[in-house]
Amino acid sequence: MRIAVLRPQVPFARGGVEIFTDTLVEELRARGHEAALVSVPFKWYPGERVLTQAFLWRMLDLEEADGEPIDLVVGTKFPSYLARHPEKRVWLVHQFRQAYELDGTELGQFGGAPAERALRRKVQELDRVALGEATRLFAISTNVAARLEASIGLRAEVLPHPPQALDFRCESYGDFVLSVNRLDRAKRIELLLEAAALDSALEVVIAGDGPDRERLERLAHDRGLDGRARFAGRVSEDELADLYSRCLAVYYAPVDEDYGMVPLEAFLSEKPVLTTTDAGGPLEVVADRRTGLVVSPDASELARAAGWLRAHRDEAASLGRAGKELASEVTWDRAIARLLG
Amino acid sequence: MRVAYFSPMPPEKTGIADYSALLVPALRERVGVDVVRRGRKKPPRGTDVALYQVGNNPDAHAWIVDALRRHPGVVVLHDFVVHHLVAGMTVGRRDGHGYLDAMEAEHGVVGRLLAHGVLDKRIPPLWESRPEDFPLASFVLDHATGVIVHSRFVRDLVRGSGFPGPVWVVPHPAWPVPAIVPERVAAGVVIGCFGIVNQSKRIPELLQAAATVRSSRSDVTLLLVGPTSPGFDLDRRLQRLGLAGEGTVREGWIEENRLWALMSGCDVLVNLRHPTMGETSGSVIRGLSLAKPVVVSDVGWFSELPGDAALKVSPDEDEVATLTAALELLVTRDDVRTAMGSAAAELVRRDHDLHRVADLYVAALEEAAGGRPVSDAVLREVSEAAAGAGIAPGSAEAAEIARRLAEVGLGG
Repeated sequence: MRIAVLRPQVPFARGGVEIFTDTLVEELRARGHEAALVSVPFKWYPGERVLTQAFLWRMLDLEEADGEPIDLVVGTKFPSYLARHPEKRVWLVHQFRQAYELDGTELGQFGGAPAERALRRKVQELDRVALGEATRLFAISTNVAARLEASIGLRAEVLPHPPQALDFRCESYGDFVLSVNRLDRAKRIELLLEAAALDSALEVVIAGDGPDRERLERLAHDRGLDGRARFAGRVSEDELADLYSRCLAVYYAPVDEDYGMVPLEAFLSEKPVLTTTDAGGPLEVVADRRTGLVVSPDASELARAAGWLRAHRDEAASLGRAGKELASEVTWDRAIARLLG
Repeated sequence: MRVAYFSPMPPEKTGIADYSALLVPALRERVGVDVVRRGRKKPPRGTDVALYQVGNNPDAHAWIVDALRRHPGVVVLHDFVVHHLVAGMTVGRRDGHGYLDAMEAEHGVVGRLLAHGVLDKRIPPLWESRPEDFPLASFVLDHATGVIVHSRFVRDLVRGSGFPGPVWVVPHPAWPVPAIVPERVAAGVVIGCFGIVNQSKRIPELLQAAATVRSSRSDVTLLLVGPTSPGFDLDRRLQRLGLAGEGTVREGWIEENRLWALMSGCDVLVNLRHPTMGETSGSVIRGLSLAKPVVVSDVGWFSELPGDAALKVSPDEDEVATLTAALELLVTRDDVRTAMGSAAAELVRRDHDLHRVADLYVAALEEAAGGRPVSDAVLREVSEAAAGAGIAPGSAEAAEIARRLAEVGLGG
């Protein structure tokens, strides 16, 4: 089949969606399909720009390319699924969350003025129309599917996808807790730093970059963590696999995350995951005392959990192995069979 | 956001006053709501959007439509047919010309001629004889910036009338079921019918069907609750069908708590009507909330009830036979009653939950209050980009852009 995978692209940014869609294209090609990535730049501010930028997708003609029909398109993230196609499948990574559950929080975008409220409603209306057109609608996690149904009443089939293919291995259960994430406020890296401030034996390595980095580095300095908190920045795939292989555990506790590939990557490295009760999607795979530790979003709780893992490395390994068993069930073969089925 | 809320309110005894008493507290959890005092003609200062609850009763709603006609806003159209309201606001105020104009505006010269006939008393008042043929909804809709309706049926009527603005379908909210002890009026199976007793509620047809059911099942009792319309000969009909006395229990107007108790003591509820004015039935909503199987007419909003919660009877030549079969099924099969009751309760939980309804209201009001500037800004940016790329207004390319904008609700 000729398949177009649709992805909005924030220029210069690279994160989970980029990895997911790039990998999807590769995996489709590996199964004999002619697959291509279709990408359009996306900017969601100021004001109604979110709508006009989204509308660009509506004007695309994806029924054929270079005289050959495109059999199927796969929309992924707002607003890529506004594209029109008679066989439009959507594998929903997430909606434009500022118009939904983040509205009214510090992560929201729309104020209380009537025009801003109406703007938010227009985004929801776009979703209602565009997602309603999908011939099949999948969501990457139960959390994303539940949000979709609660917000606009559409039901999606839950279809998780595997993480990026790294040289996953377990070499040791070292002394540091690893954070792998984009550095922005929603990812809640400061909670890990505050935990390290409470436990002088806790070492952390923070992989990733983003707009919150400066604030986090300042926080680490103010808390006297120099030497115990290392900001590794954006790391290569080999470096990441190496960090996974040597860490004690992986910290991953964004606020109400969609799903998160990091826990699966940690599991494939046989590492337990430290997360919080309000993390959302990660809780679909991280079960307390089975594949990791789940604590309330409180630095002292987190410090205590990390300390327990340090003192019980056999148990940490056991949790990590249980996670690996679970992560090994999520394969591209299964996901693609359902996506195209 | 501040909403000016025009509606009859308790202690006025109207269904819409009850509706607003239920809805306003839930809305206030989400937005600022100023309930406008009866008789006021304009929204308070600082209002972002005015909301007008409009029904067909001129005593309750004439002042609201007066305000609407001065200050356009969002109309909640509880009845699509508002001929009685219009008559009250024109003929009832000795404004015959107003009535002529309203009839002409919606039905042309023929409408004006008919209105003359009514004013000259040459034909019976149309609001009594044929209101469904002359709904006069444009009298209200012409001043609405958006319309909230309770059913797809009325949405389609509003669209069909040529209303160009946004129309939102927001289900009727369900009342919380009060803590009541069911009041059973008889042993055996009780079929309840709640509401005004008259022809348009299909009471003659119900009585015939009940009589047939009772001929083979003497343990079935028909409970009729509600005032009898003037001129409707209920007693004679009951006598003629052998339903007077045993087999029928009659109650007139009753208080709300007693209504819930009596309804709760029924096994089957019947709520028929024809013709429909596009209304929703608060009585049916209450029955569904109580997880009762209901039998309704296959018209208007009632047709939209799911088949697993309601049996539907078309008001055609087979109406009595169909109704009889439906009642016989429900009287004899308690498993069917139980299954339908469960489906009814689920329907109410899913679609008529008060907080869901309030959320839908707020969505509509936010769009009404700020949607126009947003749409204008989008159109401006898109048209500037199109013009910059050399796409001329009126060209095929411009038409395609307009079509795509309309597809996703950005068409202004």
